Amino acid sequence: MFIRMIRGALVRQRGKMFLIAFTIALGASLATAMLNVMLDVGDKVNQELKTYGANITVKPNSSTLLSSLYDVEDEGEQIETAYLNEEDVSKLKTIFWAYNIVDFAPFMKMAVTLEDGNEAEAVGTWFNHHLDLTTGESLDAGVVSLRSWWEVTDGSWIDEQNDPVNTIMVGRMLAVRQGWNAGQTVTLTGPRGSEEVTIAGIYDAGGDEDEQIYAPLDLVQKLNGLDGKVESIEVSAITTPDNDLAKRAAQNPAALSAADYETWYCTAYVSAICYQIQEAIPDAVASAVRQVAESEGSILDKTQLLMILITILSLIGAALGISNLVTASVMERAQEFGLMKAIGAKDYSITGLVMIEILITALVGGVAGYFMGFGFAQLIGHSVFGSAIEMKVMVIPIVVVLIALVTAAGSLPAIRMILRLRPAEVLHGSKT
Amino acid sequence: MSLLELKDISKIYGELKALDNVSIHVDKGEWVAIMGPSGSGKSTMMNIIGCMDKPSKGQVFLDGVDISKESSRKLTEIRRDKIGLIFQQFHMVNYLTAVENIMVSQYYHSLPDEEEALEALGRVGLRDRAKHLPSQLSGGEQQRVCVARALINHPELILADEPTGNLDEANENIVLDLFRQLHREGTTLIVVTHDPEVAEAAQRTIVLEHGRVAREIINENFQE
Amino acid sequence: MNTKRKMFLKMVTASLLRRRSRMLIALLSIAVGATILSGLVTIYYDVPRQMGAQFRNYGANMILVPASGASMTTESASEALKEIPPDNLIGASPYRYVNVEMTSRQRTFIAAGTDFEQVMSTSPYFVVEGEWPRNDREILVGKETAELVGVKINSVMELSFRNEETKKRNRINFTVSGLLDTGGEEESYLFMTMKAMEDLTGITDTLDVMEMSVSAAEDELNSYAEAISAANPDISARLVKRVTKSEASVLSKLQALVLIVTLVVLALTMICVCTTMMAVVSERRREIGLRKALGASDQSIRAEFLGEGMFLGLLGGLLGTALGFAFAQFVSVNVFESSISFQPLLLPLTVVVSVVVSALSCMLPIKNAIAVDPALVLKGE
Repeated sequence: MFIRMIRGALVRQRGKMFLIAFTIALGASLATAMLNVMLDVGDKVNQELKTYGANITVKPNSSTLLSSLYDVEDEGEQIETAYLNEEDVSKLKTIFWAYNIVDFAPFMKMAVTLEDGNEAEAVGTWFNHHLDLTTGESLDAGVVSLRSWWEVTDGSWIDEQNDPVNTIMVGRMLAVRQGWNAGQTVTLTGPRGSEEVTIAGIYDAGGDEDEQIYAPLDLVQKLNGLDGKVESIEVSAITTPDNDLAKRAAQNPAALSAADYETWYCTAYVSAICYQIQEAIPDAVASAVRQVAESEGSILDKTQLLMILITILSLIGAALGISNLVTASVMERAQEFGLMKAIGAKDYSITGLVMIEILITALVGGVAGYFMGFGFAQLIGHSVFGSAIEMKVMVIPIVVVLIALVTAAGSLPAIRMILRLRPAEVLHGSKT
Repeated sequence: MSLLELKDISKIYGELKALDNVSIHVDKGEWVAIMGPSGSGKSTMMNIIGCMDKPSKGQVFLDGVDISKESSRKLTEIRRDKIGLIFQQFHMVNYLTAVENIMVSQYYHSLPDEEEALEALGRVGLRDRAKHLPSQLSGGEQQRVCVARALINHPELILADEPTGNLDEANENIVLDLFRQLHREGTTLIVVTHDPEVAEAAQRTIVLEHGRVAREIINENFQE
Repeated sequence: MNTKRKMFLKMVTASLLRRRSRMLIALLSIAVGATILSGLVTIYYDVPRQMGAQFRNYGANMILVPASGASMTTESASEALKEIPPDNLIGASPYRYVNVEMTSRQRTFIAAGTDFEQVMSTSPYFVVEGEWPRNDREILVGKETAELVGVKINSVMELSFRNEETKKRNRINFTVSGLLDTGGEEESYLFMTMKAMEDLTGITDTLDVMEMSVSAAEDELNSYAEAISAANPDISARLVKRVTKSEASVLSKLQALVLIVTLVVLALTMICVCTTMMAVVSERRREIGLRKALGASDQSIRAEFLGEGMFLGLLGGLLGTALGFAFAQFVSVNVFESSISFQPLLLPLTVVVSVVVSALSCMLPIKNAIAVDPALVLKGE
């Protein structure tokens, strides 16, 4: 009979139950969407912040050590005598946090003499260098993505796969001064000879690079005779904002306790990634570019906190919305409950009936809401970041518990009212 | 002179003839009871007289005007201006006090006037309960407030649907006494009831059976 | 008419006051909706400003350099700065670079003369081990340079500069007050005050570059830059693309995020408000039936319920505006450590939206209730 009554209530009051289920579905979808977006926003914003370029630079260790050892004899002319090996660059993708390293490029600077006798600085680097890693992964790394803020005003980016090695890109200021255009052929002279090169593009970097020439690494190595050598590597990595532990570790990882070391090493702190790069590349010093790393950290923290607070607000909103409606709709049925009491129903059986009705409705609404929320989260992900939001499994139990608590809480005042209800009063009709 | 005249009216719900060719008339100042078992068409007739429903066939003259074809909007106006309703289940607005419930009726009719509303309450002997909410009044008191509400706008016709159905004997007598008083003042009363005692208080009783007028009884013992 | 209006108000207020629990439910739900509306909209409007301030951590986004062939002085640079509203200018650091020689190592370094006060605001990412220079005889040494030449905090180093005009070499002893850690090129420089640089070089009042941190969007920055270049022919203002481009892209994403989140949350909340209001009103079908039986026209019933709904909307809207502002303020203080300015326009907006939403959500159930025959309702169904 109990089941029959519940079925009766659910089926015959379809309109009202639908309204409740609908509201619960809305609340659940709100919770699902917001929680998922909140949990994923860190990664998403981090990706966006990669437009600021590298947050780690790697330099040869010996450059500082050697020169400081010999600096007494050194006359202040040639300081940087040490280099990294180009073949070690791909080792970046072998470290523990390899997955977080999204981009990198090696650099080699040299002075070149132009046709008119003027000097300019040429920077050898990767543009979209194709790498096939030992892990089977393959990727394109280089300045095309690492310098995303550059505007190519004439011509196009160098495509390493298709363009010949004798191709360069020229900074806007230098090009204007020299009267160069894309497509033109010029001669560059270095200590080890001259090369005829074609200008693939003119770029506007809005900085010092506007006075430089960017060329494929191989070309610069040929011009200064330093085959297979690089001066520095810029690395763009997705990092976790620093906390106290990370700051202590950055000072001296050896001073950490074993447990702290473990935590630090296995978290994507910029200092941990630097440390791992140093382990992977011999004689290298990796350091955080503070301008990028610190700003990223603070923006990331703020965005996450902001989203958490907005999520909390919308969860409260959803909770109140649901419990409100549940209260309102149970109160509406005062007469029905009065009648049931009058024909001898016990308080607990009415309460049980109401609770089960509501919970069944909540279940239906909650499931529907989860999928709606999935849709909303993807809508947000695609329209804002142009990529899907990862749906975390942990959101499901949170939403379930939330909806259960909220509907139960919403039924409480109604149940109190049922218990106080005097059947005579209700049936008497004084409740107009 | 007749105040209300039903001419050959029928009300048909699909197959069911709730009213079948019924004709009655009620004179001005008359007190008529309509009796009949459940399903005899009492309620349908009451709704039609109360301008809450329209007959499928036939004509209804109220105060000489045919209202059977009026729009529901017009019917609302007629109900407001000419008819005072009393229900079995009282029906008060439960968040308004006794006097305010009466004033609601004034409000829809013309202008609320608290003095007048209090006077009306005085007539039903509830002046001291004016500030009470319906939940603080007994059933009898509530029905008396409803009587006061029905007569506040001086309607031509008071239409009562089982007015004593939910009342004990003492309260029933109070309400019937009020009706007698109204009758003496010349108010036309139509009381729908299945209680013979209540019917006997009226001048004339129309008995409905199966949607037809079975008989009419003139009450010989009617006391002015 | 007056007494009629009084009765109208009496009925509406009685309904609100004496049906307290239901009305509280309705009011609460409207207030929650209004809170979310005003809170999120405030945040939405404030995010670019607040987040923009965070992005200023990236340092200068605009620089002034002398136009080709011209020179820049402190005076001409500060004249140029007038084109930027003072509220938007977070900091402006003058820089002058010269090559100086460290006497004991006979090695040349780039020394920068600047204003440290301003550097702290234009380059918040500078991490100084030790102290920032407190006087004109203290310098900041880049970490790389310090390691190279082996100086430590409190070391004294003699720097010299040969003035080509006077053919004289000036020598001054400086104390290292701190080491600079930036992970960038700055680590190979020496930093001193402008005054120290003038003492050392004997050349006064020339600037190589003015680094500025301006809190403004890319378009605004462009217009400032144009205004400066136009008003000061000797100075060329340029945007630091790396910072401005990235900021524009990230900030617009963030704002889009808050916008769409606001829209989704608002839409869902408003529907919640509607359903609750609908439940609260449909409960009163009997009362509507009674009023009709008493001769109320459809019009007047609608007016009463709408009046009630709109009053609730008004109250809820006011309450929500206050709560929403409190929420936005809470968020701002906790997330951005700064307070938020109240948008006066938000008050009428929130109130109007609340009133409209609650009125709309009353309409449907009222319409249904009015359509019902009063006789049926009163029979007690």
